[in-house]
Amino acid sequence: MTKRKLYLELENCIGCRSCLAACTQCGGHEQKNRNYVYDVNPLVNRQTMPLMCLHCADPACARSCPAQAIQIHETGAVLSALVEKCIGCQNCTIACPYGIPKFDEEENLMYKCDLCIDRTKDDIPPMCASVCPSNTLQWLTEEEIEMKKQSHDVGNDKWVTSMHYLEGETNVTVNLPGILQGTVKLF
Amino acid sequence: MQNIPVKQRAKGVQSIDRAFASHFAKSMFITVSGILIISFFATRMFTHVDLNLYGYMVGTIVFLGGFFYRFIAWGERPPTKNLIKKGLKLLFRKSTPKTSAEHLATYRFIWNRGIYRWTQHVLIGWGCILSCLVTFPLVFGWMYFTMAESGMYTIVLLGMNVMTIPADGFIAFMSYNALNFSAIMVILGVCMALYRRLKNLQARAEQQFMYDFLPLYLLLLISITGLALTFINVFLHGAGHYVMSLIHQYSVIITLIYLPFGKLAHIPFRPLSVFARNYREHYGEKSMKQCRVCGNEFVSTEQSNDVIQVLGVNDLEFEMKEGFHLAELCLPCRRKYRISRFSGFPTHEVPVKEANQNAKG
Repeated sequence: MTKRKLYLELENCIGCRSCLAACTQCGGHEQKNRNYVYDVNPLVNRQTMPLMCLHCADPACARSCPAQAIQIHETGAVLSALVEKCIGCQNCTIACPYGIPKFDEEENLMYKCDLCIDRTKDDIPPMCASVCPSNTLQWLTEEEIEMKKQSHDVGNDKWVTSMHYLEGETNVTVNLPGILQGTVKLF
Repeated sequence: MQNIPVKQRAKGVQSIDRAFASHFAKSMFITVSGILIISFFATRMFTHVDLNLYGYMVGTIVFLGGFFYRFIAWGERPPTKNLIKKGLKLLFRKSTPKTSAEHLATYRFIWNRGIYRWTQHVLIGWGCILSCLVTFPLVFGWMYFTMAESGMYTIVLLGMNVMTIPADGFIAFMSYNALNFSAIMVILGVCMALYRRLKNLQARAEQQFMYDFLPLYLLLLISITGLALTFINVFLHGAGHYVMSLIHQYSVIITLIYLPFGKLAHIPFRPLSVFARNYREHYGEKSMKQCRVCGNEFVSTEQSNDVIQVLGVNDLEFEMKEGFHLAELCLPCRRKYRISRFSGFPTHEVPVKEANQNAKG
């Protein structure tokens, strides 16, 4: 079976928060969402962008965990802390370059996006990508991502994926906004 | 080889550490010697050793080897080493007894994760603790029973006569059956855990046979064979006792040897959560780190520095051109900073609180 990856086309986001709502409904997420939607320039316009765990190839959260509680799934997804191992030090929340992990004080437990591992391990899209109405979050094969890259290759360096604007290699591919950088996109 | 500081080496200081080839050798030597010395006194110079249990003795020593191997290796990870070092220094905080009780005895945080999970954990956890408290003193002769006068047992603890009890009395009954009670607790707890693993979606997605199920089956095997021993003695006049006692012994020894390497490793490891709580409380009272963008206090200065150091050791440098390390930003600012990197607009500098992040309309 083709293994697909999460692909973000940030400029498509309309700020509907469907991804947040869907996240709460994933099996095992216990009604707590693990992703974010931000206003880019809240006092001026309505452009929003989603932010979720990018599943680093060398995750800072796992590196900083004294308990080795954060495991990496064979699909590359960086999982939530193992409940029996997490000791509640919150190093991961400080270490993550994107500020993704959340911490539940009551349960003394960190939780973060696990890429809906119960779904994605069988190549079913994660909840957020399943519901996104504007194709901001997509679940694509490597070839499809390559095609995206071709179709956006306008020869002006506007196609940018992970490495440039992130802190390291990730398992989530991010396409940076064409609109905000002056590239008009045709849907 | 153990690292001996250059200064010490030059001066030729005769530290006890120099006597051992490694941490591992030192830990093993001290622990085994300690057990031997206690047993020497407790068994009144080895005159009251229950040799029927020698298999458990050998198993325990092998377990100690695995235990120290696993945990010394684990303690060498930079974040772990740091936490252990600082946690030991802060061990005598006023809040330690309360934190320890909540984390290690009453499992309050698991209660907050769900009453079902708390119940199963209390049953398994306390069942195992109770069995260990009975088994190991018996194996090493730290506790045994003598009968000087017919019908009256004397409980000998660490070589001292603690009390004399009627052989058919309440205390005696509780002592004989302690392992039966703990076996029932463990069986109930394990069954609850197995049921949850069959039903819970998250558990079903992530669980693996070797990691999540095997320890449960091992506990089940120990408990059932242990109970079977009682059953055989009470109802079958001891038929098959020796075979069953060997099966039971093997199941215990295998579990002991496996313990430091699988899921059960969280048992000896869990006290670290008390260290973590002390670490956060102590350094939080000392000085809080202000976010380099919004100025809100979000973590202790110590922890922010420690994380930066640990990331550095792992070649993860998050120094930004704006002059801050990402670990110096509070979480919302760090997220907004990323949005700013995506969009080119400095979102993190707009003093507006993040809106509607909980999907509630």
